[in-house]
Amino acid sequence: MKNKFLFELGLEEVPADMIEPAAGQLRKAVEALFEENQLTTEALDIYAAPRRLAFLATGLPDRQPSREELLLGPPVSVAFRDGAPAPAAHGFAKKMQVTVDQLSVVKTEKGEYVALKRTLEGRETPDILAAALPGIIASINWPKNMYWQESRFRFVRPIRWLVALWNKDTAPVKFEGLTAGAATRGHRFLGHSEVLLKSAGEYLERLRENYVLADVAERRTKISRELERETPQALKVISDPYLQHLVCYLNEYPAVLRGSFNSEFLAIPQEVLITVMRHHQKYFAVADENGALQPHFLTVLNTSGDPEGKIRKGHEKVLRARLEDAAFFWSTDLKTPLRDRLPLLDHVLFQEKLGSYRVKTERVCRLCAVLSPDKDLETAASLLKCDLTSDMVRELSELQGVMGGLYAREEKYPESVWRAVYEQYKPNSLEDASPSTPTGALLALADKLDTVVGCFAAGIVPTGSSDPFALRRHAQGLVKILFDHRLDQYSLPGLVEAARSILRDQLAVPDRVVVDVLAFILLRVRFIFQEQGVPFDVLNAVFAPTVAPIRVYQTWQKAQALMQMRGQADFEALAVAFKRVKNILAKQKIVLAAVSEADLEDPAEAELYRTFREIQPTVSAAAQAGDYLTALRKIATLRGSVDRLFDAVMVMAEDARLRNNRLRLLFEISDMFLKIADISEIQESGD
Amino acid sequence: MPKDQVTFQGLIHTLLGFWMDYGCVIQQPYDLEVGAGTMHPETFLRVLGPQPYKVAYVQPSRRPADGRYGENPNRLYKHHQLQVILKPSPDDVQEVYLASLRALGIDLSHHDLRFEEDNWESPTLGAWGIGWQVLLDGLEITQFTYFQQAGGQDLMPISAELTYGLERIATFVEDKDSVFALCWSPDASYAQVRQREEREFSKYSFEVADKEMLFDLFNKYEKECLRCLEADCALPAYDYCLRCSHTFNLLDSRGAISVTERVGIIARVRNLAVRVASAFVNNHEE
Repeated sequence: MKNKFLFELGLEEVPADMIEPAAGQLRKAVEALFEENQLTTEALDIYAAPRRLAFLATGLPDRQPSREELLLGPPVSVAFRDGAPAPAAHGFAKKMQVTVDQLSVVKTEKGEYVALKRTLEGRETPDILAAALPGIIASINWPKNMYWQESRFRFVRPIRWLVALWNKDTAPVKFEGLTAGAATRGHRFLGHSEVLLKSAGEYLERLRENYVLADVAERRTKISRELERETPQALKVISDPYLQHLVCYLNEYPAVLRGSFNSEFLAIPQEVLITVMRHHQKYFAVADENGALQPHFLTVLNTSGDPEGKIRKGHEKVLRARLEDAAFFWSTDLKTPLRDRLPLLDHVLFQEKLGSYRVKTERVCRLCAVLSPDKDLETAASLLKCDLTSDMVRELSELQGVMGGLYAREEKYPESVWRAVYEQYKPNSLEDASPSTPTGALLALADKLDTVVGCFAAGIVPTGSSDPFALRRHAQGLVKILFDHRLDQYSLPGLVEAARSILRDQLAVPDRVVVDVLAFILLRVRFIFQEQGVPFDVLNAVFAPTVAPIRVYQTWQKAQALMQMRGQADFEALAVAFKRVKNILAKQKIVLAAVSEADLEDPAEAELYRTFREIQPTVSAAAQAGDYLTALRKIATLRGSVDRLFDAVMVMAEDARLRNNRLRLLFEISDMFLKIADISEIQESGD
Repeated sequence: MPKDQVTFQGLIHTLLGFWMDYGCVIQQPYDLEVGAGTMHPETFLRVLGPQPYKVAYVQPSRRPADGRYGENPNRLYKHHQLQVILKPSPDDVQEVYLASLRALGIDLSHHDLRFEEDNWESPTLGAWGIGWQVLLDGLEITQFTYFQQAGGQDLMPISAELTYGLERIATFVEDKDSVFALCWSPDASYAQVRQREEREFSKYSFEVADKEMLFDLFNKYEKECLRCLEADCALPAYDYCLRCSHTFNLLDSRGAISVTERVGIIARVRNLAVRVASAFVNNHEE
């Protein structure tokens, strides 16, 4: 029989979204322990459910492998006199509790020493685990901890029992006043409150008999299968990966139940119905093939079933009460037109220094006017935050923006207006789509820009873990909008300056803030590019401070072109040469003037100038058109001429006239390069 | 099952009986307007300091902004909480709680009961705890909290606080769609006992309450609270802190407080609560 070690930490219900990360930490910690102690396993299974965190290691050795140890004693010169052991040798042998003849002599860098070689027996596996487990439990890091007993130990929820079994025997684990045994606990209502395990290997099976599926994979499969089974014919569950994940960790024995609600409630917008079901009740919504919501829901219970229909009736009643509330909010909210809610925003604070949402709305309106003369954009901007005073948003805050859009639609605003309001918080993440319309893109851009620049001006700067206004997400969103909608008519410094000039009517926005905000936004751009696989040197080339100003989509195109050119011999050689050009120019003051052809004395410099003049129109036209690949290919053709110049000519000639002319030539070339990227940053490829 | 158990009063009777048998002091509702059972001094002050304590009581809880003129089947200006404090929290506190539900005749093996994360926090009391909302077939019937801080003081030992929403549990046990349809007693419905009160107090808090007078009262209550504190009268000071809190709730439901002011007023009430808590603990230690 293979050795098995089982450990289970019994807890009161752990918050669902914290369980999986903790299970991951447990795996890492146990793996590290095994490695550190040279314990090999065939399998390490982690089990995590609301009331337990466990692992089962299969195929462990009985004990650690034994290992050789070498203990150095005194130098041979001291330990031996005339070939016989001296007192120093005896002393060492005594200290090590051996006889002198058990000692040997080893050579080290410092000379010959008397030494004792001995074999250390490995410790027994269960002892190692028992000694290490308390430390492993305590090392699990939770987002939020609590006290529950006088020992002042903090953990996510109270620990109530421990199981530690080495095959059939309990292992001596003690922690926080609890002693590990062989008794686990079944489902609160369907299983036994004490389930004695005869051996480590029967853990999963015995718990299953007691209505606990300890393995999340089993729970996941059961939920998926039953969701499918319970979905009425020709309908489908509206996909909700987050909820699906959550219900796996909310239940120890999940079972899917279908319920229904009165179809009169379908008059409420679908977004509201889904949010009520999802957010408040953790129900899955059901739609027909065309995506139209149907008056059913699926819920995941923590029990075996509902033969009498009592549970379904209960859930339906709770949902009905919530939907009645929502219907009431929808109809009362519609009695006040959105536009009339604008003055009410005086009472809704955005941020102390930045004022109310009314003031924010005014700033966003002004910013929109700077961005585009679009009339619909102006209207949408004025309605932007009006839904914050609606009862629905007060109750279901995650619907802000969406509700404004829906109310605007009910009030017959054109689609480009209501959709812009509806999508104002998009994109919510890197995976989420940007607003779908041009008007919506500009509106969301203006709102986020005002928030980010405004907060920096008000001294709210994200640090490490603290980012109360979610400025990283906002900045990321605004970058994604610029990228997705290819809004290259706006440079990042231009946008920040526009927001700043409007904010300045309210509070001081010093230059330092502008520098910080730009750096903050640029970091997001770099991050997004990096996520898309742009290598570091290319990032450094396109974001070099000398390459300005940054326009997001254009910069992306440059990076793509550089990634293609990178690795080509001519281009890499040119990159090296350009570094030389940059170094020379960096040390010189250049009086700007045209290159004088007459002073191009050496054929090499004349040739370079000629080639440069030849390619320059093509390069600049291609760059203008965003065809950076063509531009870079042309630039790469300069390689031969540049190399020849450096071979033939001393740029820093004695003659000031010649020297300055050469510097001007290099400057013009460098200028052409830097309009695209600082290619001196490009690293040679490894091969 | 005794006949009176399907009434609202029967339910209260059974639960209090359960906790009396468990060894709790059975207290009476606090005789001031409060928003929750937590504000009763038997909770807010008893959880402070080292002395063990076990108490249970019903607390009528007024939430002016939740009033619906007695027309909404589930929302009330005043609802009833049954509050239990177990200090320190026993190791089997969840099991004991579940036993109390069984005492109500609820067969848990035929229902869907779960503990879902819900950490309670009261900014006005400077108090918070870690715990769950207990859901029975999707209905929130209890808030279960391990108190961590009250009045800004770290707590030790930790108290377990169980707050039963009595109307919720009653609609579940009596299988009614509206609280007003509940049987308060075998002869009187919840509507007969309370509906007029709901209507008039909703009207008062949304339409009638005199804002200026309330602001004035708030200031006076606050001053009196501070005066009590100076005179080492922590308990009377706490009464005035509670009066401030309720006055703030009334002003809020009346729409008299802007968002900017709101933060400031909450901070003022919290300041009182924190000072009362520290005075209460210090007096005990003397």
